[in-house]
Amino acid sequence: MKGVRSLAPFAVFAAVAFALELSLPRLVADSSVRQLLMLGGVNVLIALSLNVINGMAGQFSIGHAGFVGIGAYASAVVVANLQLKFPAELTFARSLWLVPAGALTGALVSAVFGLLVGLPSLRLRGDYLAIVTLGFAEIFRLLISTAAASETGGPGALLAKLGGQNGYAGPNELGVPQPAGPFWIFFAVMCVTLLALRLKFSGWGRALRALREDEIAAAAVGVDPTRYKVTSFVLSALGAGLAGGLLSIMRDGSPITQPDNFSFQMSFDAITMVILGGSGSVSGSILGAIFVTFTIKLIELLQATDAAQALKASHEWLDLNALRMVVYAAVLIAVMILRPEGVLGERELFQRRRGER
Amino acid sequence: MSELVLAHVTKTFGGLTAVKDVSFTVKARSIFGVIGPNGAGKTTVFNLVTGVYRADPGGSMRLGEIELGALAPARIAAVGVARTFQNIRVFAKLTVLENVLVACETTRKTGLGAAALRTPGFFDDEDDMRARALSLLRVFELDALADQAPTSLSYGNQRRLEIARAMMLRPRLLLLDEPAAGMNYGEAEGLKRQIAWLRDEFDLTVVLVEHNMQVVMGVCERIHVLDHGESIAEGTPDEVRRDPKVIAAYLGDDTEEGA
Repeated sequence: MKGVRSLAPFAVFAAVAFALELSLPRLVADSSVRQLLMLGGVNVLIALSLNVINGMAGQFSIGHAGFVGIGAYASAVVVANLQLKFPAELTFARSLWLVPAGALTGALVSAVFGLLVGLPSLRLRGDYLAIVTLGFAEIFRLLISTAAASETGGPGALLAKLGGQNGYAGPNELGVPQPAGPFWIFFAVMCVTLLALRLKFSGWGRALRALREDEIAAAAVGVDPTRYKVTSFVLSALGAGLAGGLLSIMRDGSPITQPDNFSFQMSFDAITMVILGGSGSVSGSILGAIFVTFTIKLIELLQATDAAQALKASHEWLDLNALRMVVYAAVLIAVMILRPEGVLGERELFQRRRGER
Repeated sequence: MSELVLAHVTKTFGGLTAVKDVSFTVKARSIFGVIGPNGAGKTTVFNLVTGVYRADPGGSMRLGEIELGALAPARIAAVGVARTFQNIRVFAKLTVLENVLVACETTRKTGLGAAALRTPGFFDDEDDMRARALSLLRVFELDALADQAPTSLSYGNQRRLEIARAMMLRPRLLLLDEPAAGMNYGEAEGLKRQIAWLRDEFDLTVVLVEHNMQVVMGVCERIHVLDHGESIAEGTPDEVRRDPKVIAAYLGDDTEEGA
């Protein structure tokens, strides 16, 4: 049965993810390493979703953190309230409905914002679209972080419930529950990867690439630029919302969802992942996400070394976090010189003949 | 039966009138030529018909019963108007086959959901479109190059690829913008045969803008002549060739001798 076969991969993914859920705590004893692996998974989701709009559709969005943040807050609110209403221990069985409820709400709310931002702004091109997306992300972040608890009515009071600058820790301030273990993160990563590949190698992906190459010619063969671009924007926001939705309820993650986690830095990291790996390439985005995640961690580890600490003690003005920017810059410059299209370009790892799959 | 009817179509860009009160009627299943010196407004007429530009209010452009003036380009393609471009516009980063497949979007039966789930319908659709695209590539002798990058193709082959892509829309009206540009004598002769064959095989109407008199005079049944955005003559190739206004405006002494 072809119909069954097309769903079979998802069953396999669930089995593999479940095996990871059981074995990961034993394989990796250090919870901070587990956290890093799962964070890498979320970053893969972020990169894959940004790749739809920046890579495949050839638009330039620099406000991806806004969509991730919206998903994160929506999911945190849903999960925290559900847990408060129906209190019980956070078992795996419980995560089976709690996590989808949160993550999918995050994805859907983010997609709605994707449509709201996408519809008007896709009449813009290049730099102008970039400005709108950046503006959207910053407005989202600032609205939440500046909402004061003193507000007594209207939308301000509602926003203030999200905790303002200090972050959202659930309705009872006890922290957002964290039911999303390795199963959910890696199940989502595998599913989204497969979906991204399937969309890329479909008529829709082809039309999107054609649109990126030449809008007038694409319209002349029946590809409606607005429709395809808005769809890609919404799908991109959907994926970002899912990533955020998982991030805010991730096991071993932070129990407080903070607005400053979704600053321009995150958008920039996401762009770095996509461009390094190769715009338009699904496997490239994954490689980029893994690289960026581990660079961040590596630099954190470097900072903890005695030599780095001694250096810091003797030169107080040194900000070793900024070293990350130096590493990125060097790697980005090297890639742009050696392979301007990113490590993989638009191709995929293990790609058979072009267009097949 | 008239297929394409332009009535009093005008287009101004700021102070410049690119097309002024142009009217013509193209009969169904005919091959119709639009000629004129450089800057006469020929390509602008194509861009108006295909919705790339909006005509000034007042005129009308109809395809059968459909008023084209208010439709967006993608919609115009969907109702059956296909075109090629004067400056070749192939999708450089798609393969030759993919270039043709892009034109399937209006006829694709399955949507995004089917693509995401890889339903049986998706594969049927894809196989269908591939088969159609390959048979079109065969018509234009490009099937051996299906997996190549279009930028590696010769100029003439790129033009043929554009026609194949346009034909994938299953158009009722095909607009060819200088299809013979850059072709040598032999290639142009082949193009003449191909245009006539396309019309017969696919039962469509062809309008072409062309500078190559060998092609225009050889294949068009009627010719409309523009000069400075205005219509100055229309008729059969013989009539147009003898029209003193056309000779003065466009053909010049050399072509008069040649005719």
